[in-house]
Amino acid sequence: MNKKNNIPRLPHTFFRWYCQPERYEELHGDLEELFYERIEKSGLTKAKFLYLMDVIRCFQPYAWKKPRPFTNHHIVMFRNYSKTSIRSLMKNPLSSFINVFGLAIAIGMCVLVYSYARWVNGIDQFHENKNEVYLITFFEEREGSAQQNGLTPRPLGEMLREDFAQISKVCRIEDAPAVLKFNDNVFNEKIRFSDPEFLQMFTFPLKWGSPAGLQDRNGIILSEEMSEKYFGEENPVGKDIEIIFGKDRSKIFTVKGVAAEFPMAHAVHFNFLINFENVFLSYPVYDKSDWSAFLNATLIQVKKPSDLTHVEQGMAKYKALQNGPRNGWKASSYQFEPLATLYERGGNIKSDISRNSYESNSKSIVFLSIIGVFMLALACFNYINIAIVSAAKRLKEIGVRKSIGATRRMVITQFLSENIFVTFFALILGIILGVTLFIPGFEIQNDFNMGFTLWDRNLWIYLPCVMLFTGIASGIYPAFYISRFQVVGILKGSVEFGKKNPLTKVFLGFQQILACILIACAVMFTQNTSYVANESWGYEPREVLYADVAEDAAAYEQMSAFMSQNPNVVSLAGSRHHLGKRVSTKVLHTPPNNQYEVNELAVDPNYFETMQLSIREGRAFNKHQGSDKLSVVVNEELVKEMMLTSPVGQTFEMDSMRYEIIGVVKDFHTYSFDSKILPTIFTVADQKDFGYLSMKVRAGREKETYAAMQAQWSKLYPQIPFQGGHQEDVWGDFFEEKDGHAKFWNAVALISVLLAGLGLYGLMSLNVSGRIREFSIRKVLGAQKKNIGLNILRQYIPLFMIAFAIGGPVSYYLVGFFFDMVYAYHIPMNFWGVTIPVVVLIMVLLGTVSIQVGKVSKSNPVEGLKTE
Amino acid sequence: MGRIYLGEFEELILLTVGVLYKEAYAVAISKEISKQADRSVNVSAVHKSLYRLEEKGMLKSMLSDPESKRGGKRKRIFIITAYGKKALDESMDLRMSLRKQITDLSLKW
Repeated sequence: MNKKNNIPRLPHTFFRWYCQPERYEELHGDLEELFYERIEKSGLTKAKFLYLMDVIRCFQPYAWKKPRPFTNHHIVMFRNYSKTSIRSLMKNPLSSFINVFGLAIAIGMCVLVYSYARWVNGIDQFHENKNEVYLITFFEEREGSAQQNGLTPRPLGEMLREDFAQISKVCRIEDAPAVLKFNDNVFNEKIRFSDPEFLQMFTFPLKWGSPAGLQDRNGIILSEEMSEKYFGEENPVGKDIEIIFGKDRSKIFTVKGVAAEFPMAHAVHFNFLINFENVFLSYPVYDKSDWSAFLNATLIQVKKPSDLTHVEQGMAKYKALQNGPRNGWKASSYQFEPLATLYERGGNIKSDISRNSYESNSKSIVFLSIIGVFMLALACFNYINIAIVSAAKRLKEIGVRKSIGATRRMVITQFLSENIFVTFFALILGIILGVTLFIPGFEIQNDFNMGFTLWDRNLWIYLPCVMLFTGIASGIYPAFYISRFQVVGILKGSVEFGKKNPLTKVFLGFQQILACILIACAVMFTQNTSYVANESWGYEPREVLYADVAEDAAAYEQMSAFMSQNPNVVSLAGSRHHLGKRVSTKVLHTPPNNQYEVNELAVDPNYFETMQLSIREGRAFNKHQGSDKLSVVVNEELVKEMMLTSPVGQTFEMDSMRYEIIGVVKDFHTYSFDSKILPTIFTVADQKDFGYLSMKVRAGREKETYAAMQAQWSKLYPQIPFQGGHQEDVWGDFFEEKDGHAKFWNAVALISVLLAGLGLYGLMSLNVSGRIREFSIRKVLGAQKKNIGLNILRQYIPLFMIAFAIGGPVSYYLVGFFFDMVYAYHIPMNFWGVTIPVVVLIMVLLGTVSIQVGKVSKSNPVEGLKTE
Repeated sequence: MGRIYLGEFEELILLTVGVLYKEAYAVAISKEISKQADRSVNVSAVHKSLYRLEEKGMLKSMLSDPESKRGGKRKRIFIITAYGKKALDESMDLRMSLRKQITDLSLKW
């Protein structure tokens, strides 16, 4: 014990400090041993000095690193695995290519799905106060289903501000069209009137200027896009811009700020913001205290989200106020929609403030995910099949491994790690494919930008998960299958491998079914595009031109007088609303207490004949002024909805007036084919309210008539840009969108055919190379190409039959289901949608067989029969 | 991955471990080397090589029983693995075969 005390304390403490506890015993043991020896040999002082030197010399990584005794055999093992995998990849370039490429395509698809989902779920999430800002909505009082409405009575917002201490900010919003003029540039734009709080609730960062500019009644805030449109790259703050709201109502505004480019994921946005007090410019008679008139939107901001319950409880008072005056929308209850989830729930709310696309977007996510999973499945099946069949070539290696002493678990580990290695390549290729091809393609097709970056933490969690999942899903079966063999059997050569595995057939069948479904989708969507393009609108848009006369009676007067002299114009009509451009919503009351919400189109008597709307029952409006003021023409949908047996002569109440139905018009599409036809009424429009001039033109004369109309307009109103066009173009982008869907599905189908074809090809070439001896003998005995082809084909025919028998009906129902989900009106499912995929897949099969036959017929039987 | 890499000093340690079969621990090895090769080797250098060789898989080790002469501490005894033997053999073979290829002519001066 006293010996121990001889060990110098300070160096020893230092040694203890830096040395790994696990290593301390053996290392310090060595040092102590030397120390005691040296005391014997050359005395304490020298020993102490040498001990200190040793301690300093031992101050090296090996002493403080954690010992890792097992690393080596892992490293060696994996080094060996990676060697064997690279070798086997290099040895079969074809099957490796099929595997890597297939998986890469599927992973690229996953990248696309991810980026799209991220974009959709990130919408409007950048506003700092998203949890404290709420949109006021109310539920309309009606029978049956309650409709949530985002409009609010005009005085409500201001009253809430005064009544509740918890509400820190209130913002009213109105939108109106107007004409903007800067130097000689004149454009039609949409202006947003809002309280100055707008920019504090929606925290859009500004590029120039300050959000306080909105407090100035003469200030205007532009979006970046608009700033570029009018002022180019320069900073416009302080510049003046004129806004013309009507013929003699215009005002000069000073630019006070420009918003920075909106984040890619936004739904609520603006082009031009001006102070709410200017609302009189657009609506000369604007009574802010009128409970029967509604604002576009009112938003409130509370100090903390829990304050809201207090506000919710005190809403009864306002319900009474809102339901007091006799107007269309009575509230049954109020609901506050937080900005954070406003976009998500926008589909249920009737409002203009948020884009109502969440539903279709989330559907698209589901679709894309399904496609992604399908592709992954196709690629994985390819992998599994090829792995099983090519196990034959690896049997020797496995035999040797096992006889050296590898356990089954080790062989499985080997195969799985090898597979993950392959998947890793595929992942890299897939990311490249996704970023350079799929995402840009998808964006170009749908004409938007998802703002995708690779610098996204979640992406790097997601992608490795995809990789691991794919690697394990595609590798687990082959690994288990191959590792099952007994060494003795392998080395004896008595193991039956690959050729007779029923599972490969099942997988191949699955692939055919999946491909069948995807091709069927593509065929149907393509057909649907042309079907929708030729579908009747219920009116005749082809020879119709329209002009927006900006609700200006004088303008209408002059334009219609001029156009009616044009020899090409067949008939001419004025209207307050116009198909595809503007409708309004009304509520009808019928006894005892039923309410129906309908679309209203206020038109003049010529409108029906101009738009070629056909009257089914009763009559259209009389042509002399002032008649039919209390008559309506309804569409068939309304008759159906109200369950009227003899509609003509029925009455209902609307805006506290009683109206009589005088005619029924055949159903027509007010909106695009995406929306269901709604119950619609036509009323007689007052001449002073006319906002649109529509005319039917002699066929083939549309262009020149349009040019004449445009020229006349710019002669009359050089200040105001002309708004009008061909009725056919009203839904122009709708057809493009459908076309986009079809193109997208075609691309998907092409890829799936490619994958399924590749898998089939790989499988067949392995199969053929396994039977090369048999074919050589056949050839020597005089077999023709045809016989060999049939011989190969014979294995696949029953399989394909079964696959089609399942895939056909499945895709028939599935595509029908998709269509019902996505489109309100679509092509009825037909026989072609299922036949074409079957034909395509048979072609692929025959093509593959013929390639193989070509190979076999070129091969020399002598080569095939040589024994090693 | 060509041949197994083995440094000169590592080779020396490996050989010594083989010589001291079952008694090969750092202090003994350093003494053995200074005795046989007549070069003084610090114990820390030996430690470093031993652990490195263990990581490479050429050595494996276990702890002995406690010994009084080292303050009741156990020592770590090293043993050559099959892989270590292979490494030694390869390097020996290489040297031998190169030595044999030197013609007698070039060694006449």
